[in-house]
Amino acid sequence: MTDTSNTKTQWQGTTDGLPWMHRALVAVLGKVPIGVIYVFAAVFVVPFYLIGNRRGYLSQYHFFREAFGYGPFKAFRYVCLNHLRFAQVIIDRFAVYGGRRFRFAVEGLEAYNELAEGESGFVQVFSHAGNYELAGYELRQPRKRLYALLFRDGSQTIMENRENVFSPNGVQMVFVQPDMSHIFLLNNVVRDGDIASIPGDRMFGSTKSVECQFMGRQAQFPMGPFQLAVVREAPIVAIFVMKESWTQYRIFVRRLGLSLQGQPAAKRQHTALLAQEFATCLETIVRRYPEQWFNYFDFWQK
Amino acid sequence: MNELIETLKQQVIEALNLEDLTPADIDADAPLFGEGLGLDSIDALELIMILEKDYGIKLQSPAQGKEIFKSIRTMAEFIQANRTR
Repeated sequence: MTDTSNTKTQWQGTTDGLPWMHRALVAVLGKVPIGVIYVFAAVFVVPFYLIGNRRGYLSQYHFFREAFGYGPFKAFRYVCLNHLRFAQVIIDRFAVYGGRRFRFAVEGLEAYNELAEGESGFVQVFSHAGNYELAGYELRQPRKRLYALLFRDGSQTIMENRENVFSPNGVQMVFVQPDMSHIFLLNNVVRDGDIASIPGDRMFGSTKSVECQFMGRQAQFPMGPFQLAVVREAPIVAIFVMKESWTQYRIFVRRLGLSLQGQPAAKRQHTALLAQEFATCLETIVRRYPEQWFNYFDFWQK
Repeated sequence: MNELIETLKQQVIEALNLEDLTPADIDADAPLFGEGLGLDSIDALELIMILEKDYGIKLQSPAQGKEIFKSIRTMAEFIQANRTR
């Protein structure tokens, strides 16, 4: 386990566009067929990002070259597909703000419901592959509140829309705070029987990480979500929400740490094993949906 | 209070695996996070568990945390005022 203070491995991003653009997109998506917006984005937006976002382009290109062993042309094709998919995923989020609903198939719903209906709080860990934000519309937790740790996005419009959509579903946003109050809050959330939702593939707030084998190389994963589950002796579940067509998503629910139950292990070792199990699950998902890997930085950089 | 401070130092060393340190190396008034002991925000989870398991204190307000865990001394003062065991 290491202290990864290198800022290049920490998420610094925000959603592009001005507030009026976001508001316009929400309004348009309430009226215009989503396919029209996809085509518009493919023609006018995606090329702009392919050319203008050099860091994102290169990170994806190397990802397909090194992690998948694709040749230059196939890697380029997948970078284009990736940018196209990312545009669709962002559009889908705004479409939900505008009232649109998607179809979902869920693998592991029983396991999720068992946790959601139980007394114990738990940790829900997710990745920036696919469209996790949409999980909140299909996975319900009527007995619990879900507290989602988020990077504070610069866009007020996005925050307001998230608030509007999430609040009726029992979802509350939690932001990383310099006084660490988010840590104390998330501890209380799990202690009191609710759900702490934390990204498992981006570091913000804490710089402590766990080195895991991922896509053939060692990569740093944040220690936080796994450490919280271990310290509180709480269940932990990985959620992946992957886009399969214009109108359908597939949600994967994976309980982590089941093989570790009842086995004596030091907390650090237990944390590392959980992180590796998450990394392995994530790799399986990314290999199935390679174009939906949306970490636009060198994930393997130390 | 001094006895509690020494006990706390030992508990922090054990909980956070600070094997290179002894209680004598830790200044009771030095900041726990950032400078001083150099703990990371994630380490706060272990400090919370010390309060819960060893002293029966459940933190209610997340905003209190930073003040309570400012130093070993502030932790000890909080424990002395709120302990249930």
